[in-house]
Parts: sequence; C-alpha cells; structure tokens
Amino acid sequence: MRKRSLGFLAAFALALGACQGGGGASPGTSGGGGAGTTLTIAAVQGVEDAGLKALAPMYTQKTGVKLDIVEAPYADLYTKLVNAFKANDATYDLVMMDDPWMPKFGTDGSLQDLGALGIQKDPDIAQVVWDVGTWPPPRGPVPPSEKGKPSQLLGVTIVGNVEMFMYRKDLTPNAPASYDDVLANAKAQNKSDMAGYIIRGKATNPVVADFLPILWSFGGDVFDENWNVVFDNDASKSAIKFLVTDLKAVAQADPASTDAADRDLIMAKGQGYQSSTWPGEINEAVLGEGSTVAGKVGFIPIPKGPSGKGVGMMGNWMLGIPKASKNGQAAADFIKWMLQADTQKTYAQNNGIPSRTSVLKDASLADKNPYFPVLADALQAPPNWRPRTDQWNAVETILGTHLNAALAGQESVDDVAAKASAEIRTLMKGAGYPSQ
Amino acid sequence: MTSPIAVPELTATTVAPRGRIHWSDRSRQERLGYRLLLPTLGTVVVVATIPFLLAVVQALTSASGAFVGLDNFTNALGNAALYESVRQTAIYAAVVLPTEILLGLGLALLVHRTVRSPAIRAAIYVAAMIPIFIPQIAVGVVFRLVFAPDYGILNVLLGDTGRNQILWLSSPPLAMLSVATVDVWQWTPFVYLVLFAGLQTVPSESVEAAQVDGASPWRQFVHIELPYIRPLLLLALFFRIADVLRVFDHVYVLTGGGPGTTTQFLSLYLYRVGFRFSDLSQASALAVVVMVAMTIFYTLISRFLPVETR
Amino acid sequence: MRRRWTLGRIVTTAVLVVAVVVFVFPLYWLIATSLKTKAELYAVVPTLVPQNPTLAPYGDVLVDRGFSTLLLNSIIADLGATAAAIAIAFAICYPITRLPVSRSVRAFVLNWSLSLRFLPPIAVVIPYFTIVRAIGLYNQLPGLIIVYTIFNLPLAIWMLRGFLDEIPLEIEEAALVDGATRWTAFRTVLLPLSRTGILAAAIIVFAFDWAEFLFAFILTATPQSMTFPVGVQGLVTQFEIIWNDMAAGGVIAIALPLLLMIAARRYVMTGLTFGVIREK
Repeated sequence: MRKRSLGFLAAFALALGACQGGGGASPGTSGGGGAGTTLTIAAVQGVEDAGLKALAPMYTQKTGVKLDIVEAPYADLYTKLVNAFKANDATYDLVMMDDPWMPKFGTDGSLQDLGALGIQKDPDIAQVVWDVGTWPPPRGPVPPSEKGKPSQLLGVTIVGNVEMFMYRKDLTPNAPASYDDVLANAKAQNKSDMAGYIIRGKATNPVVADFLPILWSFGGDVFDENWNVVFDNDASKSAIKFLVTDLKAVAQADPASTDAADRDLIMAKGQGYQSSTWPGEINEAVLGEGSTVAGKVGFIPIPKGPSGKGVGMMGNWMLGIPKASKNGQAAADFIKWMLQADTQKTYAQNNGIPSRTSVLKDASLADKNPYFPVLADALQAPPNWRPRTDQWNAVETILGTHLNAALAGQESVDDVAAKASAEIRTLMKGAGYPSQ
Repeated sequence: MTSPIAVPELTATTVAPRGRIHWSDRSRQERLGYRLLLPTLGTVVVVATIPFLLAVVQALTSASGAFVGLDNFTNALGNAALYESVRQTAIYAAVVLPTEILLGLGLALLVHRTVRSPAIRAAIYVAAMIPIFIPQIAVGVVFRLVFAPDYGILNVLLGDTGRNQILWLSSPPLAMLSVATVDVWQWTPFVYLVLFAGLQTVPSESVEAAQVDGASPWRQFVHIELPYIRPLLLLALFFRIADVLRVFDHVYVLTGGGPGTTTQFLSLYLYRVGFRFSDLSQASALAVVVMVAMTIFYTLISRFLPVETR
Repeated sequence: MRRRWTLGRIVTTAVLVVAVVVFVFPLYWLIATSLKTKAELYAVVPTLVPQNPTLAPYGDVLVDRGFSTLLLNSIIADLGATAAAIAIAFAICYPITRLPVSRSVRAFVLNWSLSLRFLPPIAVVIPYFTIVRAIGLYNQLPGLIIVYTIFNLPLAIWMLRGFLDEIPLEIEEAALVDGATRWTAFRTVLLPLSRTGILAAAIIVFAFDWAEFLFAFILTATPQSMTFPVGVQGLVTQFEIIWNDMAAGGVIAIALPLLLMIAARRYVMTGLTFGVIREK
C-alpha cells in the first residue's frame, strides 16, 4: 500500500516536471479586440511608464479597449515575467521589457512575432531600435542555440533610452570631451561637500550599467565576436582601473552602496559634479520637485575614451506580446497606435520618452526635455547593446559582484579581471558557448 | 513538590493514567485517535513533501527536461561560492543567536524582577511586538534610512557625513555587523516576549522559599528560574536558528549580498542561482542539498527539543 | 511599602530606558519619515523631526496607488490561511493530546512540524511555484492561502498543543461518563474551553502571515492577488525610492496586527509559552 502511494506520488511529480519541460502551448488566438476588450500590461514602476499611464485613458476613449497597467519595480519585473512566461499564463497581453532581457525571452520563445501582427519598420525611428527588438540579433555574436532561427521582431521600443552623461554646466563652461577631461574636472571640482564623480556602484546590475560605457570607450569588452571572454585584456583592465582607482579617488563617500536613486539624490542636492545617467532619471529624480540644480545640469553623449570613441549603452524599454496572450491582435493595434507620430508627441508631453527622431528633435519639446536632441543623436550613433545571450543576467551578476568588491576595497584590478573572466568562462562553457 | 528542581521535569503532559476507563475502551480510543489523526496528518505530510519530490525531479534533469543524473549536484557542490555562503551564514548565526538569546533573557529577567507597574509592562509588550510584525521589506528600508551614507540618520547623529564617514553598509566587517544589528533589533523582542511569558509561570512559592533561604538573585536564577524555563529557552533558540538559517529579506534590501559577497548568505546565494542565473536545475539541486542538510541538522539537534520522546 | 531608589534600581532603570530607546528609535524614524514631504527628504541634512508634517503619503499609498485593494487581499489571504492552519492544527492536536496515541506518534508530529520551519522558503519556492501553476492557482489568492497554511502550521500545532494539554482530561471524561458522545463532549466541553487558546494561536499565526513577502511576490502577478507587502516593496523603484510613501506603507502594515496584539494581549502571552511550561 505504502509502496503504491509513493509510486503514485512519483508519477505525479514526473507529470508535473514534464508539463514544465514541454510547455510550448499554441500561440494565443488573436482576437481583434474592439470595445470591451481589456489588455493587461506588465509595466516597470517609475518614470519609464509615466507616459504609458498617461496614454492609456486616451486610447480607451478612442477605441473602447481598456488598458490595465500592472506595475512592478525594476528588480522584480524580470522575475515576474520569467515566471509568467514559464507558467504560460495568459495574465499579460503586453509586457514592458528592458532590452537585455530580449535574449532570454527570444531564446525561450516567449513572445509573439510582431511582424506577423502587422507592425512594420518606420525610417523615422533609428535602425538600432528595430535591431534591438529583433531576435536572433541581426549583428554581433549570436548564441550557438539561436543560429539559423528565423528572424522575428519581438519587441518595439516605447522608451528610447541610451545612457548619457551629465555634468554641472554652471561650474565648468565646457563639456568634457573625453574621459581624460572627466577625470581632470573631477579632480578640480572634488571638495568636501562636492563629489568630483558620482559612481553608481551597488552590486550587480547598477555598477555594470555605470561601467560598460567606460569599458567600451576604453576599447575593452566582455566578449569578442566569437564569445571569447576578453574582460582580462589590457584595454579592459585599464577601464577597470579607471573606475575603481582613478574615479573612486574623487567619488562620493560610499560608491559601493550607491544605486541610481542615491546618485540622483546626491546630484539633486548639489553634492555631485558629474555622472552617467539614463534619460529616465532626469526629469523626476535629478531635476524634479525639491531639486536644487534645475537649469544647472548639462547632458551630453558618453565622452570619448582612449579608443577614440565614446560608446553609449542602450537600455531601451520595449513592448512585447507574450505567446500566451489571447488578445495578440488587439495588443499589436495598441503598439501601432503608440508609434504614430502624433501619439508620440502627446506621449512626450506627458513625460514619455519617445523614439521617433522627428519628435526627439521637435523644438517645442526641447525646453522641458533638455536631453532630447542628445538622445536622438545617441540613437543614431548607434549605441552598443549588452551582449545578446540569455546568460547575460548571470554574466552581469558576476561582473557586478567583483566590481562592487573592488569599489569596497576587497579586490584589486587584476583580481576583478581574472576572477570575473574565469567565472564567466566557466558559466558560458557550461551553457554550450565556445568561450575561451 | 518541595524541591524546585523537580518542577522543570514537565516535558508537557504525559498521557495521564486513566483509572476509570476500561482497557478495551482504551484501545478503542486509541484506534479513534489514529482514525482522526491519519487522514489530516497524511494529507499535510504529502502536501508538504511534494515540493521536495519535485525539487528532486528538477535536480536530476536539465533545463530542457533531459535526465542528467547527478550533474546538477556536481555543479552545485563544486561551486566554491556555496561554501563561502555557508561560512557567511555561520558567522551571521554566531553573531546573532547568542546576542539575541542573552539580551532577550537579560531583559526578560530585568523586567520580570524590577518592573511591577502593569502599565509599564504593557507598554514594553507593545513596543516588543512591533518589530516582529513589520513587513521585512519595510524593515530593510527603515534601516537604509538609518545606515545609509550622507542621508542616513546614524551618521548624522554621529556628526559625520563627510568624506571619511563610517560606511555601515559597504565596508566588509561593518556590513555584516549592520545586517546582524537589524536581526538583533527585530528578533530580540521575540526572545524577550517568549522568556518573559515563561518567567511569569514560575511558581511564586518556589521563588519565595528560595528568598527565605537567602538565595542571591543569581542563585535564584540558576537554581529555580533557569531550570524552569529551560524547555522554553531551547524552543526559542530553535525558532531563531530556523529563522537565521533562512535570513533573506532585510539583507537583500540593505546590501544585496555585498560588498562583494560579504553578506551573501545561503538564501541569497540560492536566490542568485535560481533567479539571477535562472539556472533552475542547479538551484533545485542546491535546494535538495539544503533540505537534506537541514533535515540531518534538525535530527541532530532535535533531541534537545522539549518534546517527550522517551 | 515605598521602594527606595537604590543604586541597583537606578542602573536597571537606566538599562531599560536605553534598551527601549534603542529599540523604539527605528520605529520613530519610520513614522517620522512617513510624515515628511518630498522636499524635506531632499534636505541636505536630514531633519530629526518633520518640519511640515503631512498625512499626504498615507493618501498616496491607500488612494492614489490603490493599495487599499492590496490591503484587502492581504486580509483575505491571511484570514483564510489562519483559519485553515488553525483548523488543521486542531484536527492534528486533538488526537495527540486527548486520545491515547503512542508517544512516538506524538513526538513525530511535533518534531516533523517544527522541522518544516527549518526549510528556507527560497529553497522550496520554485517547486511551490510549479505546483501552484499546475493546479491553476497562479496569481490567485487560494494559491497563497495553501502555501501560508503549510508554512505556519508548525507554529499553530505547537501553540494549540500547549493549550489543549492544559485542559484536564477529566473534564471531558466526566461528560463521557455522563453518557455524552465524543463529538458532543468535544463540542460542548472542549471547544468552549479552548476558545482562548485558539484565539491566541490564530492571532499569532495571522501576524506571521501578514509580514510574508517572498511567496506573495513569486506567486502573484497583478493587484488582483498581490498582498500589501508586495506593494510596499514596489515603492523602491530603480531611480527613486519613494521614502515617505514607503514609510507610510510600513506604518499601515504594522497597524492592524498591532491592534490585534493589544486587544488580545493576555492570550498572546500565554500562547508564547507554547505549552512547554505548564502552569501549576
């Protein structure tokens, strides 16, 4: 008796495990979605979805389609989406995704092809915006498991987002042209009540976001074209040294515990001279209510490094449609409407960050959004994206842990380069990449 | 019962002799007992065991569902970061547990012996209840407002928010101390409440007898109160060990495991593997290892539990 | 008899006052922060006392952000889980305390239930997620109720066992001798006598459910089933931590269990001895 019930349990458990393995349910039937349809949107909480929230009632008024926006904070949204996709759950009809998540969702086949739902490229939107939503990636190294898969458009950018650079233009007339200038200015401005440079150094994602533009501008990288790890070559090491030694010497008191919220608070209180920044941080956190530096901050693309280039980093927020959604067509119709030029302008007037070049360069918007023209140029440059691998979260965690340890004085530059590279190689080989 | 030492031998009620009920009646009752107990207990045990079985299944398969034998276990156990996190958890436990138990016991004795006013006792009770039921996330955030550089109230009160201020959350030994402080803050009141409730039940005759005999307060504690509350002390320690081994929330908010991996405790490491690395196979293998290790650990220490097993 | 202020008394009073201040200060800081305006939070040096106290953050949290729905979810999930845990714990504790089951069974129940608490939730959250999804309860309050029930069962079993042990068997037996059935004896004698114990255990279990975050976070997706702590966590955004709203959320979250605790103080204190010490 006992044996049989145990056997039953094991069978039950196996059945559950099996469901999980082969969870490829058929893509949702695409209901057209007229009045009465409700689209549930998973969105990131914060300024990035402010414009979306403003547009939602307008769309409902126009079409009768109701939009239910469900917010999660940045650090949690990814986990929530992975879980929802794994559950093949029809909860969400549209999801906001940060661009480094695309490889995971693309590899897992979690999203519907937007091209098949009638969304077409538009030349007024920078090519890189389309590329970043395309899977497998149209350029750069492609994960071994993804080679030969048909190209699909899985995400459309709704928050044009490229990492930029901010500095106190009231204190120095000239914008820094290179990282040499950045360091020189930092040394000159560094005082007891003013940090020469604000490092966003909290472990994992934050410190990596602050560091990658420096790494690239110094000519370093994490992977080469064949997924070989190059984080321990000389260019990469000089970039690491620049962050954890040179900039740290002129940074705020505690870079290792500083996240974007802390950085913006320091900037808004007038206690920092310069830092990298995302467009999403600017209007609310740096220049918003309570800030003492409104009108005193200049925004420029990432300065040039020893490589001769300044390489910005993309952090576009995209909208995608989960495979499990039963309102695929209605969701695609909403995306199309959102991309229209007039909608994009309304969007920008309501704290949205548009991606259309003509809207970004619209003179009537530049006053309230001093960084729009810089963003338009940054998108055309084009900026780099984070390596297109579903292992990126793990790679980022490794890099971020060691960089953070170095900022806290626990590891040397060589330690960071050697340890992180070794761990990343092990990880990538384990995941079937040809990394050396 | 004149000897106070005999009192603590109450490992709860034993099955009292039932003179008035006939033997056959007794065996009928015993059967009734099992009939009532087994369906519920069986269901609960099964429901609580399924996750373990599922974890085992997942630990033996790859992400694509293929059977891979013990590979995931080899990977999980071959990772030095695992042992590092076990070590950090042990250090954390070594700091937190004695502090909480001694502080909680000391405060309970102090209040029990010196505070007579019901109003003050009630006020202390309320103050002690609050930390236990605050959402962990709010605890993390409040202490960020305490420990953070520049705007944290601790450094403001210490009068140093300058360039060389104390970095409570990101200089290695201090970060450990800071997250431990939060644990002590939150859970000493629990220990206090449990032990205070226990001290209240010490029979006053025993205490008075000892006082008449001229026993010092210390002897009174060692010979009368301590033996009496020992089972409760052990149980409180058990609950605290269980909670310390799974500490997660406030550390996640305060340091995220940093600086480096200084405060990356076992649960944070599991989170990292399962949710940051999205390596569910290895995470399941780790989960199985942790569950088995905890079961062994629990079996080893459970003989100290105040449960009648003789 | 008036007591004198001896040196010992002064020292103990001082120790107590310091302890209370240290333990209460973070709570004060939480409340103070919840009463500040955003501009005040940007002050270069933080203010110890709110300069322009405002209740606006509370309005923000409950009305503008719609957290009142989450509060309701929390109440439903926690009440459901508490009721289930107490009912199951009672069904398990009744036979092991009132009927002559063997000691090893009794020891197994107590040991096994406490060992459940030793499993780090993070280790079982993935399998639980798989199960809850498989039975279609993902993003549903019943899913949370099941998980919470299991997780707080040890606490409920241990406390109820303590209370039931304290009710003399003879009282029930007297009823049985008078010809009542077990069921009647249970209903008319035991249940009324254990009412306070049930109340105490229920309140403590409820309060523990109330603070839970990890499972609520993993097993829910939308405000339809999210609990209050998940909403509060949401106020830590990538670029901005909305400190005052966050603090207001914390204060609101404390308020309900605290009121319960105060109302049922006497029972809660008894519950906290877990019956491992028997009152003489």
